[in-house]
Amino acid sequence: MRTPRSLGPGWLAWVLSFAALALVTVVLLLLRGTLGKAHIALAYLLVVLVGSAAGGGVLGVALSVAAFICFNYLFLPPYATLVIADPLDWLVLVAFLVTGIVAAQLLSRAQQRAELARRRAQEVERLASLGAETLNVGRAEDALVAIAGVIRGALGVARCEILRPSDLPAAPAAFVLEVPLRVHEQVVGVLRLSHDAPIVLESDAQRFLDALSYYAALGVERVRLTAAAERAEAFRQADELKTALIATVSHDLRTPLTTIKALAHELAARGEEDALSIEEEADRLNGLVADLLDLSRLSVGELPLRIELDAVDDLVATTLDRLRGRSAGRDVRVLRLGQDVSDEPILFARFDLAQSQRALVNLLENAIKYGPADEPIELWVMRIGNRVRLTVADRGPGIPEEEHALIFEPFYRPKGARPDVGGAGLGLAIARRIAEAQGGALSYAPRPGGGSEFRLELPAGTAAELAYVHGHFIPDRP
Amino acid sequence: MTAPTEAPTADDLAVRVLVIDDEAKIRQVVCSALAGEGVTCTQAADGAEGLALAAAEQPDLIVLDLGLPDQDGIDVWEKEALLDAGADDYVTKPFGVIEFRARVRAQLRRARMVRQPTPDAPLRLGALTVDVARRTLVRDGAPVHLTPTEWQLLLALLRRPGRTVTHRQLFREVWNDSYGDTQQYLRVYIAHLRKKIESDPYAPRHLITEPGVGYRLEIGD
Repeated sequence: MRTPRSLGPGWLAWVLSFAALALVTVVLLLLRGTLGKAHIALAYLLVVLVGSAAGGGVLGVALSVAAFICFNYLFLPPYATLVIADPLDWLVLVAFLVTGIVAAQLLSRAQQRAELARRRAQEVERLASLGAETLNVGRAEDALVAIAGVIRGALGVARCEILRPSDLPAAPAAFVLEVPLRVHEQVVGVLRLSHDAPIVLESDAQRFLDALSYYAALGVERVRLTAAAERAEAFRQADELKTALIATVSHDLRTPLTTIKALAHELAARGEEDALSIEEEADRLNGLVADLLDLSRLSVGELPLRIELDAVDDLVATTLDRLRGRSAGRDVRVLRLGQDVSDEPILFARFDLAQSQRALVNLLENAIKYGPADEPIELWVMRIGNRVRLTVADRGPGIPEEEHALIFEPFYRPKGARPDVGGAGLGLAIARRIAEAQGGALSYAPRPGGGSEFRLELPAGTAAELAYVHGHFIPDRP
Repeated sequence: MTAPTEAPTADDLAVRVLVIDDEAKIRQVVCSALAGEGVTCTQAADGAEGLALAAAEQPDLIVLDLGLPDQDGIDVWEKEALLDAGADDYVTKPFGVIEFRARVRAQLRRARMVRQPTPDAPLRLGALTVDVARRTLVRDGAPVHLTPTEWQLLLALLRRPGRTVTHRQLFREVWNDSYGDTQQYLRVYIAHLRKKIESDPYAPRHLITEPGVGYRLEIGD
């Protein structure tokens, strides 16, 4: 910081002080006969003190020495020599010199402290005003501009820029100082000072810069987060648009598909055997668009769910019923497992029946698709802690370990799957999202002895808990 | 689909069906699907025309297209609202001809039946016999105990055999709405009732769940 250390330029204080010393000496000399040694010493001391106050400690010491010589030469007998006749005069002279030097030093130190305190106060004031500015401005970019402005003004440099570390332009001036900006140990930007002379920072300026570069780092981080939030918002809006679009397509497809199915049915009734596949394909198309819509809705959290306490057996029964037309004659064997089968004859869980049924149908269809035709598919129902687990187990080829993480991704098809195996690879993705939207989970595990296990978990519940939740007693609990 | 008149049609007259849909193709499809059923079909392109024709023709059955903004998830709720509003049944587009025809036939059959508030004769529910008058449920000569609420529930379903009764309707009839929105009781009681009625919990034959809509009771063996 370029604040002056004392009032006026240094040389002026020296000239004036020595002029004052000369003047005092002349006056004292004229009055030499009438004055005592104490008068002379006090008059010189006054000049020394005023001089050190105006010009600092070094001037004070120089004045002390000069006054000491004048005192000795002109006022201590024998006059006009540096010889001192009376030994007591030595004492006076040395005491004067010591007093002068000590006083000058003390005065100078006190001034330095006052100066330091003033600068601290200034620093605090600048930081405070910057903090307020940073908070007040609306856009994060404006905060960075404000910070750069404060740094430039405070350090007196020609330019202060806050830059991204990735795209640093060439330095515009000959003298440049760059400070990395860090948040959580990570460099998020660079603060660049440019000037037409070498930039030398004193310790307090350095401290100030450190503090401000932290502000700058936070500002850069804020810019980044704001941009990220804006991007996320744009994505969300695009997602919503996509969902709305698919919803419209899905809805508008229904009428023509109905007509196509009816016409295909008529053709089939007239003996056109191929017409049957027209109906099937129309259903498949409808299913595909419905799947796309639900996946889209699940991604934006817009699939309406009616999560209620319900019997797990009901979920299994309605699922098997819905699957009946599509299971291609495959046997699904339901097994109730676990220790508490007798303790809790009816297993309850909290779920949306229609959607959970959908998830379970997808798992079973998957097992039908990939499992061997002569092996029954098993559905194990059990309670594990506060969850109800429905495991669909098949004896298919299983899934290689490197694909475990991928199978729940939309549009994923296993490597080497036959192209005619059907489905767009949405079933498992939808099933997992439905499970998670209900506070449950869906996971894969290899089945011991070969094959796959898909574990659909739902939050368990009890009828007693229902009465508790609603705060009153069920009148006649069976 | 709505059966606005309970009056049975004379057997020698064709059944009159009114189809209201803004899509001409769909009206044709619906009418030709019913052509083999001995039905005369009248078409209306919008609600106003439909109302006028309904008043003039006194149809036995109306097939009404509801342009619901529907999809799985939303539409199951709409279905419940639909049944609550008085429709007798519904199909969702794209529907198949066979299913549609079966549902229309079922509705016409029901409309011809004289409504009985509660049947007096004991009813068969598989291995069970229900005697509504005596309030007994018997399996192989041994009585099966039902709690008062389970009885209420069974009676509410028995009043509309073979038809889907919505959650809301059941709740209103059994609990008189006195428990607010705690419809979840219903599922708990259905689960207990089903355990007493059905022999295979994974393949119920009498107390059937219509996911997202309600329940229906199928009488017989």
